[in-house]
Amino acid sequence: MFHVSFRYIFGIPPLILVLLPVTSSNCHLKDKEGKGFENVILISIDELDRMLAIDSNCLKKEPNYFRKHSCGDKKEAAFLNRAAYKLEQFVKMNITVDFELHLLTVSQGTLKLINCTKEETVSKEPKKNDRCFLKTLVQKIKTCWNKILRGR
Amino acid sequence: MIQANRYAQEPTSLTLRCLGPDCTVGSSVTATCLFLPGDLEDAELDTDFSFSCYAQLEVDGSQHSLTCAFDDPEINSTNLEFEICDSLVGVNCMNFNKLQEEKYFIKTKKFLMIGKSKICVKFREENLACKRVEIVHIVKPEAPFDLKVIYRQRANDFEVTFNTSHLQKKYVKKLMHDVAYCHEKDGNNWMHMNITNTRLTLPQRKLQSDAMYEIKVRSIPDSDYYKGFWSDWSPSSHFKTPDSAEEMNPVLLTIGVTSFFSVVLLVILACALWKKRIKPIIWPSLPDHKKTLEQLCKKPEKNFNVSFNPESFLDCQIHKVDDIQSRDEVENFLQDTLSPQLQESEKQGLTGSRPGPNWPSQSPVITTETFKGELPFGRPAGNVSASNASMLPSLWAPGCREGISSGSPVYQDLLLSPGTTDSAMLQPFPHQPGILTLNPDVQGQPILTSLRQNQEEAYVTMSSFYKNQ
Repeated sequence: MFHVSFRYIFGIPPLILVLLPVTSSNCHLKDKEGKGFENVILISIDELDRMLAIDSNCLKKEPNYFRKHSCGDKKEAAFLNRAAYKLEQFVKMNITVDFELHLLTVSQGTLKLINCTKEETVSKEPKKNDRCFLKTLVQKIKTCWNKILRGR
Repeated sequence: MIQANRYAQEPTSLTLRCLGPDCTVGSSVTATCLFLPGDLEDAELDTDFSFSCYAQLEVDGSQHSLTCAFDDPEINSTNLEFEICDSLVGVNCMNFNKLQEEKYFIKTKKFLMIGKSKICVKFREENLACKRVEIVHIVKPEAPFDLKVIYRQRANDFEVTFNTSHLQKKYVKKLMHDVAYCHEKDGNNWMHMNITNTRLTLPQRKLQSDAMYEIKVRSIPDSDYYKGFWSDWSPSSHFKTPDSAEEMNPVLLTIGVTSFFSVVLLVILACALWKKRIKPIIWPSLPDHKKTLEQLCKKPEKNFNVSFNPESFLDCQIHKVDDIQSRDEVENFLQDTLSPQLQESEKQGLTGSRPGPNWPSQSPVITTETFKGELPFGRPAGNVSASNASMLPSLWAPGCREGISSGSPVYQDLLLSPGTTDSAMLQPFPHQPGILTLNPDVQGQPILTSLRQNQEEAYVTMSSFYKNQ
């Protein structure tokens, strides 16, 4: 009897706490018309794409991160929020000043347009020189934005 | 009322005394204020520090600029600064640089252009006035340049072109351009035209001829996201409209000259042909019988002498007919005169079909006048038939006037017996007057047989003659 109570007290609640952030989505899009994305963020994404001239094979290998976090239905805002935080981790790559500015424009601009009640937990930092991951991340952000705007 | 001493020289405690009837004993408040040296005057605190700002994106490469100035130009901007916070990339706040014209300026790439920024007037560390603005809503484009006006003669219009640096920019691309032009003599009467591209056509009919015009252009953002103010005017350009006299189209000129000469030619022709052609058609004259007759009749030859003097007919044998003889006598007469000729004609018929060259001169002419007497001297011929003078050779005796024999219609009758239809004699034929000739061309037909025939045969001959005609 005492062992059973232990399971219910110490087993299930932590499980609920762990699963709760996964199931709930507390982010929503402020810029519903997508004007901020089209006139500012998209320009910086295109500049980052131009600067990250990488082998096309890079995009074929999708990192595991994107299998876990995808731009699913009704989860677009949450994905963008998470991706924006992830993007800021690449600021320290020290490529060029303009590159850093465009990176921050995409990141901070996205965060400005999305309102989340909960702060995103910072996941493991990727390799600093993982340009392939960065390019994939930028493309994913662009794809997710387009998905949102197409749904309008 | 609370009175505070604002002129402390160093940070100190401030004693606030309560004045007035509502104050009670001991109602004093001790507050500590921090007043730095060089405090603001009372007047300065009441000053309106309102200011205006405008932003210019990508004004220098990828750098943007933000310019602010006080609305009141008389403000003493000493120790006043401007600061912008929020909606910046990588930083929280940035300070403006002060220019000589009492303006505050900042040039940076760190405008996020999403969300609102806070711009404050600061006196040292204290915010005197703040304003929250969106950078994308206070955009002032750069002034257009390279304004040109070209006159197109064929189209009779002016082509206005200009350039703007925003065509190569990434953010503010869509602009509305205001083209203004005016006649130099009109002063400030400007005409405005709004366009979205950098080319404009001004029709010449909208402008005065032979006049000098001034033209300039400015721009304003024209999109859903970027908004702001009109740019500065571009440098003015001047153009002159052509004179109306010089506008003569070569084609029109050619047509005009051709038309003029055509009219002149028509007038000359009209004057020349008025009497002969035009007037008879427009105002035909009544025919004059005398003149008409003169026109119809051929004029005789110069040497043609018309005379009724009998002496001029001496060379012609004229047989007077005193009275009308009986039929039998006529037949006998004809028989006598024609028989010698019959043999001769038969001979000629055997030899040739055509009469000899002298034959026509030998053929007698039987006229009404001549028939009164004897028939002409023995000139036997073929059948006597009345025919058209133009078809048969002349029967005038040789030596007579040839002009008469050439075909003048002569009404002839063999017998003068009006009313005797049964007579064997030939009846007068009023419709076709012709020479009653003795046709020598008839072959093998005895002439006398036609004369000797009875009344019915003569009648048949006349009827056949009528039928032939």
